[in-house]
Amino acid sequence: MFQIKRGLSLAIPAFLLLAIVGFIPLLIILYWSFWAWDPSTYWIKPDLSFDAYLAIGEVGRWTVLLSTFGKAFFAAILCLLVGYPAAMAIHFVATSRWAFILMALFTIPFFMSYLIRAFSWRLVLGRKGLINNFLVDIGIVDQPIDWLLFSDFAVMVGLVASYLPFVIFPLILSMQRVEPNFIAASQDLGASFLRTLFTIIIPLTKPGIFAGFLFVFVMSSGSSTEVKMLGGAGESMISIMINDVMRVVNFPLAFAISGVTIVLLLGIIIVGNRVFGLTKLFEDV
Amino acid sequence: MIRRPTNHLLSNMNRRKMLKLSGATAAGLGANMMMPNSAYAADGGDIAFWGTGTLDIGDMWDQANKDAGLNVSFIDNGNDPGPIVARLVAGNANAIYDVSGLQGGAERELAQQGAIAPWDVSKIPNYDKVWQWAKDIPFLYNEGKQYGLPGVVNADSIIYRKDKLGIVDSYGVIFDKKLKGRVAMEDAWINSAIFTAMYLKESENADIKEPGNLSESELGLVMEFLIKHKVDGQFRTFWNGWEQGVQLIADEEVDAMTGWEPIVLEGQKRGLDVAYAEPIEGYEGWGNNLLLHSGAVERGLSDAAHEFANWIYGGFYGAQLSLSRGYVVPSDLNVEYAKAHSDIINADKVAEVTEHVRNKFSGKIYWQNTRPDNFQLYEQWWQRLRNA
Repeated sequence: MFQIKRGLSLAIPAFLLLAIVGFIPLLIILYWSFWAWDPSTYWIKPDLSFDAYLAIGEVGRWTVLLSTFGKAFFAAILCLLVGYPAAMAIHFVATSRWAFILMALFTIPFFMSYLIRAFSWRLVLGRKGLINNFLVDIGIVDQPIDWLLFSDFAVMVGLVASYLPFVIFPLILSMQRVEPNFIAASQDLGASFLRTLFTIIIPLTKPGIFAGFLFVFVMSSGSSTEVKMLGGAGESMISIMINDVMRVVNFPLAFAISGVTIVLLLGIIIVGNRVFGLTKLFEDV
Repeated sequence: MIRRPTNHLLSNMNRRKMLKLSGATAAGLGANMMMPNSAYAADGGDIAFWGTGTLDIGDMWDQANKDAGLNVSFIDNGNDPGPIVARLVAGNANAIYDVSGLQGGAERELAQQGAIAPWDVSKIPNYDKVWQWAKDIPFLYNEGKQYGLPGVVNADSIIYRKDKLGIVDSYGVIFDKKLKGRVAMEDAWINSAIFTAMYLKESENADIKEPGNLSESELGLVMEFLIKHKVDGQFRTFWNGWEQGVQLIADEEVDAMTGWEPIVLEGQKRGLDVAYAEPIEGYEGWGNNLLLHSGAVERGLSDAAHEFANWIYGGFYGAQLSLSRGYVVPSDLNVEYAKAHSDIINADKVAEVTEHVRNKFSGKIYWQNTRPDNFQLYEQWWQRLRNA
């Protein structure tokens, strides 16, 4: 009991910081989303108006919400598909020295600005980019492939490249909690690698899978750079739409879009935790 | 609720500290030296100039101190009219900054909200040398008072690959089916809507009165046209920012795009046969106008702000900006100053840039308007375009 109390008291500064810079602004935004625009003050005035929420249903704004979550979902799934084998290699195969080197390699993209990171993909995927030059040089295609850039494909490449490390680290954390004896027992009983993977490792790493998914999903949902730099003409994301709305000082609508996004993300976290048991990541082995 | 402070207790000293904290560099102190064309007595003062990033002349703001005793701090305002207007009216910008450099169109709105104060051009002797057509920019005035000074002007049209397309003289190239997937426009209704409206008005005889300020029905016509072409796959992308614009041309992603002339120069530097069109429909003229903040007047900085405006028109600033950006302060004094200081300034280049920009304005011009009457409707249509 004493340790719990001491632990909680040590966490107070972090909780306070989180409340001040995180929760309170979010609550204010939710509260303000029901206010109305006041031209006389050029700001918003107290009200209980649902106009901003109704406006989300107009001019295709709701499709931006859906397409954003769709892109974020696929980016998270792709990151898991690529990241899971990588995490397994780091945890189960590599020596501790190589594990350190591999983990460091995965963090290299974060040494550069996210703008440069996204922009550099244009130089790789463009008509005169590395891939098209290679394909034309070896004669696979006569003309550069246009859909490599300014397309959903390019957006996915940008998102996966940006957020892949965020699935690898939770996966490694969850794999560290897999009792080696379970795997040894599985192999002793004659299970194949795939059977061990699907019946032992994946079920035991579900919290890490969900944590990694969640990291990528949430960050991809809030991203805009990859879509602006690599997406097709006028392609949108929630953050781009909010920016567009703020440009014309439609504050209540911007707050409402933010509010809906927050509620949807919280819903996904709560449901996901129920299904995948995210809290197990923090339980004693 | 955030409102502009009304007690004006934020002293210049505190403001100065705030600017320093925010990373703004105060201009250094220098010896007083009057400018050749400055007839107005310079008392000096501290001016926080909140402007579009391309108006910055870096260390050369020191010259304002030497010429007029002004300590100028330049702070980039991000060049996004919506947030700038909001910060001026309902945020803290009026308490921190004294003069804005903002793309034209929002003056009336800002004046009506009391965020900016009228200029007294009689206190700006160099204003006499400002070109008349620049003085006639409609956005500068509201209810008989002058709220904007035409600080920097230029006119935009189409960047294109001359080796591939020959001579281009119409915005029709952007909508030409033969160039499907090989053209781009800016990801900004402020520019793309007016370019399209100019094309429809001048070349398709559409019933459009003022391309920079479209009515509801005109806007619908213009945006439906854009949506149709977007759905047909006409546009390779909508671009944002200098680097992206340059990359589209330099890496041959597009053969034509609406955009800024400096991108042409960048393409030419890279050995491409890139040119800037002189469209029969006219140019999109833009003025980055100087606005006097009400907060500055209340802080007793009105005279210093007028001195600052006078210095902007004095020649040094215009000459430097012409050399660094290819933009023009609409005054004859730039060239005069450059010629008088030809030992340190490339006077021929300043004259060339000035003449080039002035020539653009000798033809048909439609002014870019950052705040058309239906600006929120523009945003709604832009969402439709994005989602089409």
